[in-house]
Amino acid sequence: MDQSVAIQETLDVGENCLIAVQCLLLLRNGTESRLLGLVECSKEHALFLFSHRRMAITGNDVTLQEIIPISYDFSVVEVSSPDELAVVGADTRVRVTFLNEEMELKLPFGSHTRLFLTEVNRAWCDVCEQYPSSPKFAWLNKYQKNFKEPGSLTPSATRKIKKRDRSNTAHKENKHATSSTETIRGESLHESSQGREKAEIRNELVRSSQHTVSNKAQMLTMPQFGLRDNLVKCELLKKEETYTYIENFNFFLGTYNVNGQTPKESLHTWLGSTAQPPDLYCVGFQELDLSKEAFFFNDTPKEQEWMKAVSDGLHPDAKYALIKLVRLVGIMLLFYVKKEHAEYISDVEAETVGTGIMGRMGNKGAVAVSFRFHNSDICVVNSHLAAHIEEYERRNQDYKDICSRMFFRQLDLTLPPLTIMKHSIVLWVGDLNYRLSDLEVDEVKNLILKGDFETLHNHDQLKRQMDEEAVFVGFMEGEINFQPTYKYDTGSDEWDSSEKCRVPAWCDRILWRGKNITQLNYQSHMNVRNSDHKPVSSLLKIGIKVVNEEIYKRTFEDIVRSLDKLENECIPSVSLAQHVFHFSNVKFMQHQAQTLTLYNDGQVPCQFEFIQKLDEPAYCKPWLTANPPKGFVAQGASVDIDLEVFVNRSTAPELNSGQQQLEDILVLHLERGKDYFISITGSYLPSCFGSPIHMLCQLREPIQDMPLETIHKLNSLPRETSSPDTEKALDIPKEIWMMVDHLYRNASKQEDIFQQPGLRSEFEEIRDCLDTGSLDTLPGSNHSVAEALLLFLDALPEPVIPYSMYQQCLDCCYSNSQCKQIISLLPQCHKNVFNYLTAFLRELLKNSAHNRLDSNILATIFAALMLRSPTKQDILEKRKAKEFFQHFLVQESH
Amino acid sequence: MAKQYDVLFRLLLLGDSGVGKTCLLCRFTDNAFHPSHISTIGVDFKMKTLEIDGIKVRIQIWDTAGQERYQTITKQYYRRAQGIFLVYDITSERSFQHIMKWASDVDEYAPEKVQKVLIGNKSDEEHKRQVATEQGNKLAKAYGMDFFETSAFTNHNITESFTRLAELVLQANKKDLDLLRVSINDQLDLSALEEEAGVCDGSSNAQKTCWC
Ligand SMILES: Nc1nc2c(ncn2[C@@H]2O[C@H](COP(=O)(O)OP(=O)(O)OP(=O)(O)O)[C@@H](O)[C@H]2O)c(=O)[nH]1
Ligand SMILES: [Mg+2]
Repeated sequence: MDQSVAIQETLDVGENCLIAVQCLLLLRNGTESRLLGLVECSKEHALFLFSHRRMAITGNDVTLQEIIPISYDFSVVEVSSPDELAVVGADTRVRVTFLNEEMELKLPFGSHTRLFLTEVNRAWCDVCEQYPSSPKFAWLNKYQKNFKEPGSLTPSATRKIKKRDRSNTAHKENKHATSSTETIRGESLHESSQGREKAEIRNELVRSSQHTVSNKAQMLTMPQFGLRDNLVKCELLKKEETYTYIENFNFFLGTYNVNGQTPKESLHTWLGSTAQPPDLYCVGFQELDLSKEAFFFNDTPKEQEWMKAVSDGLHPDAKYALIKLVRLVGIMLLFYVKKEHAEYISDVEAETVGTGIMGRMGNKGAVAVSFRFHNSDICVVNSHLAAHIEEYERRNQDYKDICSRMFFRQLDLTLPPLTIMKHSIVLWVGDLNYRLSDLEVDEVKNLILKGDFETLHNHDQLKRQMDEEAVFVGFMEGEINFQPTYKYDTGSDEWDSSEKCRVPAWCDRILWRGKNITQLNYQSHMNVRNSDHKPVSSLLKIGIKVVNEEIYKRTFEDIVRSLDKLENECIPSVSLAQHVFHFSNVKFMQHQAQTLTLYNDGQVPCQFEFIQKLDEPAYCKPWLTANPPKGFVAQGASVDIDLEVFVNRSTAPELNSGQQQLEDILVLHLERGKDYFISITGSYLPSCFGSPIHMLCQLREPIQDMPLETIHKLNSLPRETSSPDTEKALDIPKEIWMMVDHLYRNASKQEDIFQQPGLRSEFEEIRDCLDTGSLDTLPGSNHSVAEALLLFLDALPEPVIPYSMYQQCLDCCYSNSQCKQIISLLPQCHKNVFNYLTAFLRELLKNSAHNRLDSNILATIFAALMLRSPTKQDILEKRKAKEFFQHFLVQESH
Repeated sequence: MAKQYDVLFRLLLLGDSGVGKTCLLCRFTDNAFHPSHISTIGVDFKMKTLEIDGIKVRIQIWDTAGQERYQTITKQYYRRAQGIFLVYDITSERSFQHIMKWASDVDEYAPEKVQKVLIGNKSDEEHKRQVATEQGNKLAKAYGMDFFETSAFTNHNITESFTRLAELVLQANKKDLDLLRVSINDQLDLSALEEEAGVCDGSSNAQKTCWC
């Protein structure tokens, strides 16, 4: 039943429970049943977890336990331990995580669960699309108060915070905890010991948690999730080490605050300073243009000038291609690679973040380029952070803002955008603007003169802030063995001589983050005198993951092959105990059944159904049914299907005449799987029931004593041939005579004759007696014989009054003479039968005092059998047929 | 990384009972061989991913019952195939004779564009050979088909013949493919493309009754 109704009753106006499932919450010492609802309110979604009575029907049956807002930090993944991979199709286990909360739930197998998960996933995707704007979940606040024990929030809240601390130090680059929402918990106090236990389990889960898509097999059965691609990617990523090797490349990083100047001298001494030509160049500029135009319209001629200066200044021994130029007002980053590497650069994306005036403008901030080089993903950032000696905290904040606001689009748009820190290599250059604290200008200059950089390092704000882990966490910087790059009188190597007389500082810095990086050189370039800063360069040797194409191809093929295998194993499959069923000696109106057993030997549950064959009206012939014709078999379970054969008046004629055999092939189809063919065969014993009058008139022997060919041949003779050349032919079928004669002798005075039903078992004896001639007198009660007669008339392929004359009969039903006239036109054997039967009925009416029959009753019964409509009869037609028939029931007066 | 799968289509294995259709499929998808003959009574399928001209091709290979009594039913699967293998057994003259009948059924029931490849299986059983390679070649030429002698037992020519048929199907559908590739840059379900209205695809939501 739909339990979302019960949840809905507990909700406020405007909140809707979209879908609910009953599930099991996994605890260390067992499981507890929960009701899980997906609740929507003004386009925001949350999961509500309720404890509940056995079957939740109304709001009183459920108690809210926990709310998990579906925000960017939310995830739900299918989980299973590797050894459980085999039991796909069992219950679905999912892990729900939100910030550092985590729980595992077991959802019942089936489409409802699928639907539920799809809906939850959709809700989460919506949130991701809106990112970085995040839902507020204001509507959830009231629930916080509604819990039974409001005090209970405290312990779990502190627990949560502790846990977060730990995990933050464990993986420092963990998701930033941006969302203002918290999990609202409803554990009551007396449950707190259990609660603690729960927390421990969760801790354990946190430790072992790996968001892998391990239950592949099950997911593969859902093509709509398009998971195959993702699985391949995921597996490739896992095996990256096998098909990549590390190759070193030299990255030249440069940073230069040009103080709004135009390039006046060659940059070769700075950019071309290495012995060998570097493989890549990343060159950052700050204060490219200090004009208002640049600031307000982000447009400057300096861009081209400096770019040209850089292009001209690169190492002369190699050819370089400019891959990307990105600029925000005066902050510009140029990215070049050696020509031969260009084809290994991919996924290049550039972004900017302004942190200047109002926290947004581009006078301060960063530009960055994200790209892949071979198989390594790299992010290069050029930033200009806040100025002024005392503003180091502002600089820290700028750094954090840049990190949290810089997003790179991913090629696969379904993936969330990439942040700086998600890159395995981050290179950060720029005028970071950190100064030397707590020293007078003269002391600084003195120490510089003495070359005592070590003392100065202790006063460097950036080093101090990094030591405190307040900024650039996880970054490295090489030893600074050059004198501060700020501030000089432009055009000279002299310290700032203006009245401000700035304290020298290492404003211009180059940092890195990632594995396999060594710095070969870190220096400033004193002989570049274009600006009040000196340019800085760093030559890094970076180990890049290079793909071994051959191994990659092999790995890829392996993965594809194993996925194919997995997929093939998951094609629904059953085994059948038997493919061929034979029904022997099937008789008219005799039920026979056999059992088809389906055993699900596949890896997944499956849905089966007998399906229709082309150009056939049903999945099987009309004399056959399969029960049930469709259904569900759980994995490892079996299902019995009854195959039933029953030949009735509509199927008997063609079987008697040999036009049809008891033969059919059923197609058992498994949804998304194979088809099985099941052969049905049988032998049918021909019967006088369902045989035409004229044919029976040719049979002096019981029908089953005749060879089949004779019967089939007689059946195919046209009706008219019965009259001329056959002196042997009977006037009426002997079977009719036997039944009527029997009734005439024994049942004329039988009370309620033709009104009371016969017995089926006696009918079968009578049928056999007629068909085999095994007895001289008919067995069974009078009522059963009467019933047999009616069934016989009913089964005649052509009624006593042939279909072709039906309309005529109705048309003249009010005229006695015309009615009689028509009867005289019937084919001989039909006329004989008609006259014989009506004579018998008139006899019966003579005894109406005993048998309580009247002409009205008999006309109703016999008109319906002897004057049958080729189509469906309406009431008026029925009345006319009766009218017609009654003419023949009045006693002839002679 | 670029997307991994581009096309999906159906191949069908036809031929007399016992010529080795199931074994061919088993060898191709699982690289396994079963010496006993368990006659296929129904229609079975397996998936396999191939790369052809840089396009990832997922093929669904349908293995049909070869027994004569089921032929009226298996015929009805032909029209959903883009490629068909006509398989005979080189140790059985009779199975080779029957190829004509299979081929004419294919002409009648399969889509016009269907690609065909003739397979003479059990090439390992040289000592029992009843059909000369030249005969196979000639027949294939007469029908304008490619021809391979294969052995599911020794894994001879198996990948080659499957890849070849897949290539042929790809070529035959290139126009549609290119068209589609421009419009939807997503997985192409060529098999769905070929479906006539009212007949559904096995992997998508099945209609109440259908031939999948
Ligand atoms: N020596 C040899 N035997 C083979 C080869 N391929 C199949 N067989 C054998 O031939 C018999 C029939 O193989 P199947 O693949 O089951 O035949 P089938 O064509 O699928 O037959 P149906 O399902 O009845 O239509 C089995 O006993 C196989 O072991 C082959 O390449 N070499
Ligand atoms: Mg087979």
